Amino acid sequence: MGTSITSWENVSAYFTFADNPLALVLFSIGAAAIVAGLISSIKKHEDNAFEEYK
Amino acid sequence: MSTETPTLESLQAALDAQQAVFEMHQSMNVEVFYWWCTAIMIMIHAGFLAYEMGASRSKNALAAGVKNVLALAVIIPTFYLFGWWIYNAFPGGLIPAEASAALPWSQSMGPDVQDMGTGIFWAAFALFGATTGSILSGAVIERIRVSAFLILTVVLGSAVWILAGAWGWHPDGWLLTELGYHDVGASGVVHAVAGFFTLGVLINLGARKGKFINGIAQVIPPHNLPMTLIGLMMIIFGFFGFLGGCIIFNGGETGWTTIYNNPTNLSAFAFNTLMGFAGGVIGCYIASRDPFWTMSGGLCGIISVAAGLDLYDPALAFIIATSMGFIAVKVAKALEKAGIDDAVGAVTVHGFVGFVAVILVGVFAGGTPNVGGNPEISLYGQTVAAVVMAVVGFLPGYLISYALKKANMLRVPDKAEDLGIDEVEILAKPYPETDVPAKTSLETQGA
Repeated sequence: MGTSITSWENVSAYFTFADNPLALVLFSIGAAAIVAGLISSIKKHEDNAFEEYK
Repeated sequence: MSTETPTLESLQAALDAQQAVFEMHQSMNVEVFYWWCTAIMIMIHAGFLAYEMGASRSKNALAAGVKNVLALAVIIPTFYLFGWWIYNAFPGGLIPAEASAALPWSQSMGPDVQDMGTGIFWAAFALFGATTGSILSGAVIERIRVSAFLILTVVLGSAVWILAGAWGWHPDGWLLTELGYHDVGASGVVHAVAGFFTLGVLINLGARKGKFINGIAQVIPPHNLPMTLIGLMMIIFGFFGFLGGCIIFNGGETGWTTIYNNPTNLSAFAFNTLMGFAGGVIGCYIASRDPFWTMSGGLCGIISVAAGLDLYDPALAFIIATSMGFIAVKVAKALEKAGIDDAVGAVTVHGFVGFVAVILVGVFAGGTPNVGGNPEISLYGQTVAAVVMAVVGFLPGYLISYALKKANMLRVPDKAEDLGIDEVEILAKPYPETDVPAKTSLETQGA
């Protein structure tokens, strides 16, 4: 489950869910969301931290 | 032992098998070479980390370090998501060409046993991008918000520099095909772009509090100069991975070439890398007598000759590097007089020196032919390209930081800056056993 490979015979690209392009696009969106979420969380942390120093 | 008489077919089959083994080893050698170049480039980031933490006052030491680590962590995935695609899609200018193989969901952008090149080249390029982020990082220490810095560093490290790379560092890049651009060691596409991007940011960010009193620049000494010097030496170490990653390992009969496909080798690179380092140190030392600038001179020297690393006579490279090291100190002072607080001299060391280095290839190597029908190297082409690099770096740096400033997202509040970002934002202390209050050094300067 979770892989497109059923045998290693003649395998070239083998990354997980490679047989489902939509899944790969969703993974990419997820990766982008992690970066955006990190920056957003840092901004929120800064806003809280700087609140009493304005 | 077989006593069968070999046939022509069996000999051919044996030859084919040997050829397949040889080609596999060639491909593996390519992978191994860039694998280690990438690993050595990580040392650049270790160096920048030590450099910036040492260059900060103790009240901001951890904030500088955290910022640096996070820059590396966000540039790598964003370079995966769109940086590599930009490199492959934009060699002709601003209209994208078909480059679906470089999109993150394509077959070549993952574990593919038929492709022994894409991943390892992507890795080297991602680390070049991360280097641009580190160049920005040092200049803005002690007053930029980490969130703003990360937005800027993603734009620089995963979009801006690689757009310049597509133009000047791609076999079909228009700067090469139209102007004969030559920049083998990335003086322009990495250093000048990052340096001018940094200048754009610094204009909007402003100086650290206490840096200018009545318009007179004050010295804000690093809290740990020895660590700064060690950090710089680590960056020099990492440069060998960086410059190694700038050469193309073709394997087979072709051997080494530059990124522009003209013949070269690591031996040629070695001469001028070391001569450039030595010259830069000497030039900066003569001009400053200052430990910080003496060590920064190593960077100045290498960057000043990197664009023509494959072409210069080593003694000429040494003279160029010495001269540029000397001039760089003067330029940094002039920049400071103009009210720009560049905490580590990044605009000068990377921006100014990278810019001039590109032009110098036109001065000292003008007329050198390119391969593949591209125009020969010329002073005109190098000068135009240097200006392109500066503009491509400066404009987005200035505009995005301006937008962040207007949104009040660029700089930490005054009181937080006084107290130190570590105290306000970082949940750890760099030197918990010290009894010296964090803001003592600022007060003793009368700031």
